[in-house]
Amino acid sequence: MKGAGYIFDAIVVGAGPAGSSAAYTLARKGFKVLVVERGRTPGSKNMFGGRVYADPIREVFPNLNKSAPIHRWVTKERISMVSGEKMTSLEFEGKKNVSFTTYLTELSNWMAKQVEEAGGIVLTEITVDNFIVKDGRVKGIRVGNEEVFSDVVIDAEGINRLLLERAGLIPRITPNYAGLGVKEVIKLSKEDIEKNFGLGSGEGIAWLLIGDIMEGLPGGAFLYTNKDSISLGIVVMLGSAMERMKEHISRYVERLRLHPLLEKYFREGRIMEYSAHLVPEYVWPAIPHRLYGDGFLVAGDAAGLLLNLGYNFRGVDFASYSGYLAAQAVEKAHSLGGMSAENLSIYQELLEKSFILRELRKFKNAPKMRKNERLYDFYPYLINAIADKIFHAKYETPKIMDAFKEANKGRIGWFTLIRDLYEVSRSI
Amino acid sequence: MSVAKDERVKKEKPMKVDDILNNDIWDVDYEPHIRVDSEKCRKCKNKPCLYLCPAQCYTLVGNEVLFSYEGCLECGTCRVICPENAITWNYPVSGRGIHYRFS
Repeated sequence: MKGAGYIFDAIVVGAGPAGSSAAYTLARKGFKVLVVERGRTPGSKNMFGGRVYADPIREVFPNLNKSAPIHRWVTKERISMVSGEKMTSLEFEGKKNVSFTTYLTELSNWMAKQVEEAGGIVLTEITVDNFIVKDGRVKGIRVGNEEVFSDVVIDAEGINRLLLERAGLIPRITPNYAGLGVKEVIKLSKEDIEKNFGLGSGEGIAWLLIGDIMEGLPGGAFLYTNKDSISLGIVVMLGSAMERMKEHISRYVERLRLHPLLEKYFREGRIMEYSAHLVPEYVWPAIPHRLYGDGFLVAGDAAGLLLNLGYNFRGVDFASYSGYLAAQAVEKAHSLGGMSAENLSIYQELLEKSFILRELRKFKNAPKMRKNERLYDFYPYLINAIADKIFHAKYETPKIMDAFKEANKGRIGWFTLIRDLYEVSRSI
Repeated sequence: MSVAKDERVKKEKPMKVDDILNNDIWDVDYEPHIRVDSEKCRKCKNKPCLYLCPAQCYTLVGNEVLFSYEGCLECGTCRVICPENAITWNYPVSGRGIHYRFS
């Protein structure tokens, strides 16, 4: 299948979850694969909130449970509405191993090791400058003065997509279609974590918070328990943050860390790492996407494959599974005779049939719903004010309706309330 | 490798971004991977980079935005939000830049 000068069947750019999943799948099928990663080690440029859904990844890496760096299985889900020093929460507990916490740096490193064990080559400290494009077809990569050719390039470079932009294959991402995640990882002993959060050994909590900790900015906060640390951070939408942010973004994370209702959970901790990363917030299928072309495929964050429902984020499993499908597309295109756009278009079909695009289409109204500012400001206030009147009733307990009226003070009409409720339940 | 300071989480005063960043490690490139076109930058009123760069690489001195690339976390936010398109942002060369370990 190779002409002169071709060394690899496939070059994968980026050893994150998408890239390594593609490379691992191809290597296992006998393709000669090269993964290039700009970081010093695979994962060293990766960052996420803190939780991974296991099943899609186990389909790609069957030995996930055996050797992957799983910190804690999430057995507790908590969603909190915060307003001042009041918090109303919804908590779910169930002991099924569906999602786990980890450091993405560790998980990516583990995935890259699987690639090597399957026979793929992973080179780190390689920053790709450009794709080699001839007659509209991607032929390989350029690193400094070196050129490496392959039949196909799988772009898993991450959300910033500089290579795709430089090759003129994709427009620059705009602020309305990206979020910014910033987190602190706080060291805390295993015993303190399990005691403070009421967890059994190896159990974890995923905790999402909305309300005035974000000063009314659309976005939210998260807390995940790792083995012996917690990941504490925020996600803001760039478009609205650009217009409305009044303080440096680190202050928002700090307010979370010092929040009187939260700090008791990690008072004894200390900061281990501070990190930031962009998150795709595309509206599917309104944004035209270039997921394949002559000689290339795009997977993971670079393809905008992430679902944010406000109460859960699915990025790593989408990335991993899209890499897996990209590898299947390459295999199929190979059997059809080459890596033309037409042959690689099977990738789009595979994505459409998979849970990834089904989910993104199903929840296509979620991004719009999350722009409703009452969700971040007024409703957390309202719920806490009602709860306060009911639970802090000293002699006489008000009826819920009266508590609502008193808390609402006429600020929101029934029509708006019902419309918002309808929008939320219809969107997510 | 910088060693994490014994900064307890509970503090009375806000921590400086620099102190928080002290917990991270970098292999700093010799050449900046960020360039700012100061002509274009001067035209910008809101300067969202001052608030949104998580590493506070952009600071206001007088009316000018000064930037440093050394503490960059490579999120790419500045490039996306810059209203004047004044920022050229590249991936740092081979292995340079931020090196996350626990994220």
